[in-house]
Amino acid sequence: MRLAVENVGKSFPGVVALDGASLRLEPGEIHALVGENGAGKSTLIKILTGIYRPDRGRLTIDDKEARFASARDAIASGIGAVHQERNLVPRFTVGENIALEQLPMRFGFVDFDAVHKRARKFLDAIDSSIDTRTEVRRLSVAQMQIVEIAKALSLDSGVLLLDEPTASITGHEADALFLILRRLKAQGKAIAFVGHRLEEVLSICDRITVLRDGKVMLSGEPVAKVDRARVVREMVGREERIAEFERAIPQSDTPAMEARELATARGHVGIDFKLMKGEILGLYGLVGAGRTELARALVGDERIVGGQLLMDGTPVASRNVADAVHRQKIGYVSEDRKGEGLILAHSVRANLAITIWRRIADRLGLLRRSSELRVVAPIAARLDVRTGSLEREVIKLSGGNQQKVSIGKWLAAEVKVLLVDEPTVGVDVNAKAAIHEAIAGVAREGVAVLLISSDLPEMVALADRVLVMRDFALIGEVENDRNLERVSRLIMELIQSR
Amino acid sequence: MTADKPATAGRLSILSLASSNLFGLAAIVAVFWAIFVSLTPNIASSFSLFAISRSLGIDIVVGFSTMVVLATGGMNLAIGSIGVCAVMFAGYLMQELGVPSPLALLAALMLGAASGWANGVTIVTTGANAFVVTLASASLFFGAMLITTHGTPFEGLPPELADFGRMRWGFVSPMLALALAIGVALAILFHFTALGREILSVGANTRAARMSGVRVGRAIVVAHTLSGLLAAVAGLMTMARLGAAIPAIGRDWLLPSFLAPVLGGTLLSGGAVSIGGTILGALLIATLRAGILTLQVANFWLQLFLGLVLLCSVALDRYRGGYLERKSARVRA
Repeated sequence: MRLAVENVGKSFPGVVALDGASLRLEPGEIHALVGENGAGKSTLIKILTGIYRPDRGRLTIDDKEARFASARDAIASGIGAVHQERNLVPRFTVGENIALEQLPMRFGFVDFDAVHKRARKFLDAIDSSIDTRTEVRRLSVAQMQIVEIAKALSLDSGVLLLDEPTASITGHEADALFLILRRLKAQGKAIAFVGHRLEEVLSICDRITVLRDGKVMLSGEPVAKVDRARVVREMVGREERIAEFERAIPQSDTPAMEARELATARGHVGIDFKLMKGEILGLYGLVGAGRTELARALVGDERIVGGQLLMDGTPVASRNVADAVHRQKIGYVSEDRKGEGLILAHSVRANLAITIWRRIADRLGLLRRSSELRVVAPIAARLDVRTGSLEREVIKLSGGNQQKVSIGKWLAAEVKVLLVDEPTVGVDVNAKAAIHEAIAGVAREGVAVLLISSDLPEMVALADRVLVMRDFALIGEVENDRNLERVSRLIMELIQSR
Repeated sequence: MTADKPATAGRLSILSLASSNLFGLAAIVAVFWAIFVSLTPNIASSFSLFAISRSLGIDIVVGFSTMVVLATGGMNLAIGSIGVCAVMFAGYLMQELGVPSPLALLAALMLGAASGWANGVTIVTTGANAFVVTLASASLFFGAMLITTHGTPFEGLPPELADFGRMRWGFVSPMLALALAIGVALAILFHFTALGREILSVGANTRAARMSGVRVGRAIVVAHTLSGLLAAVAGLMTMARLGAAIPAIGRDWLLPSFLAPVLGGTLLSGGAVSIGGTILGALLIATLRAGILTLQVANFWLQLFLGLVLLCSVALDRYRGGYLERKSARVRA
């Protein structure tokens, strides 16, 4: 099956998402679609899957013009997709989710044995050990991603569109996925692969299309003929930058935040650390080590059951998130920006200003748009939030720009301690640099930053020292001398030690 | 980046979208008026218009009472019961204890607010669904009212109340003006105060609001207290119209209370309210009621019509909110 779009355009209020883009997916080829966040990749995928209708341009299947009235039309035409957003039913089991589109029936009832057998087959194909009888809501983000992929595979479609399928899965799982993609390619399927990790993209794809600001910069070039530097140049419009941050050496006597033998309701024990003013303290650990849970406890969302938490040397009593934010000036940038970092249906202005409404209201409790903008507009400019207008709903921004907003609200709040949880997951090169610069910037201004990240280069670029967590306890600390190889080795040795 | 000169593109499109919704609603109201006037010109008589404006005022406040809790993504099924409790309490104070009417009305408003507050506190502390809590409290409040009053109306109220009910400014009742004034106050609350904006954020994404330092529980309690207060206002307005405190007040509020805000574009899922829309929605209800009344069609046709209109408007709500809901459901999953 051959799927192509020619010269498609799509605009949203205030932003042109696609401006005359073309893409041609040939059978037996894996076609990479790359570009920064907001370049229009996801919009293009959504047009190919019938979720958006293009404003102009042509869509063809096997060179015959096609029109999708809905996503169902696209599925019926043999187009399977894994979107960036989760499309699973949380309370259904893994098996039910995978088989949902075509449930096996027996005597008019769902044949559950067949459901799970079928699901097992596709999960085994990606070499995953997920139990098909688990409810999807109990899975981790990475596991959900795998279920999505298995589901797309199960549809047995002629065209497979994968929008950042590897964003949250491990290397092992990704390798298994690539193996399958090669096999599907050999079977003559047309595959589109949207990705951020260029090495990955270049290693498995046959052709590459680069989008920038809704336009095609590189159109279906054979991967063999382009190199990484060229792709990056076309993506960002200039050479790749290597992060180098101006950092002030943290100096103070009292830590901005200090934990003494802290224990939490989630099971942390004996947590001891000092976080200085102006310092970026890294917190590294494998998935499930309890880093996010610790951050939640520090911001008052999980109960602290033992030990002491001190802010500026003063012990903090039990409290809720509002106290942590407004009294102790602690902000938490969630890893789940869509679920709990942002109010997607509300404007950029409202999302940036939510933390300061109480402070900027006048004596009558009235809140003026102008006083919100006075605080918020410079922050949006400083973080380079790309939006047509500050009145735009956050849901319409790209992932990187959304992340800038979820950090920006804490700049507005002028927090003393900022807990940042996986700030650049699913974010493109340029937005990542802007976010790193913002984090280094707040630290320069004297904010104490606790940085949770699974991205070691990011950790080494930003952190002053790195705490390592395993099984809800801190097991050591590594001084950061900006030597990625040495720091990674020391951290891994700590984690592997027993 | 246009942060330093807040561009108008986004805001304009939102405005035009909202106003096109309101325009459609206004057009439907106009069509009904045209039909009714051509069938019975009486409906446009000065007295009829006065009567419509008076019941419209009540419908608007009833709609607001539900709108403020819809803003948090909750609901209040107890507004009819709270309204009638306030009415009977005021009637008892004035007729049996001889309390001066301003004081009695104030006390009745406080009772309404306190009932709403109790709903809100129960919802926040138990974490139970607003539907269940207010369903229970609706029955509880109404039962308590029946036990204490034995269902006997108070008909010997001070005459100034009925005078207010009959008062006319041209062909408009001051009750409509009162409702509109409340509308202005609510518009200020939701657009220009920290509290109102927090209530909307809680409705749009409770978790994100909490993690941003919003006191979620307080926002929900405030919304329910306000809802109770507005229910009491609507009750007392009805009492003034009837000139008596009657236990039947509030029995038929439930449907219109949802109809007005939902027709007007307030999302059932929370996070967005439309005050102008609620007023127009109430106008549609008042229009249908007046039309059916002056056409001398049996009253139960009204029930059927209103039910039909609510279904249509909910379908419209799904269509409108569907996009965002699907999006956020996916994200949560």
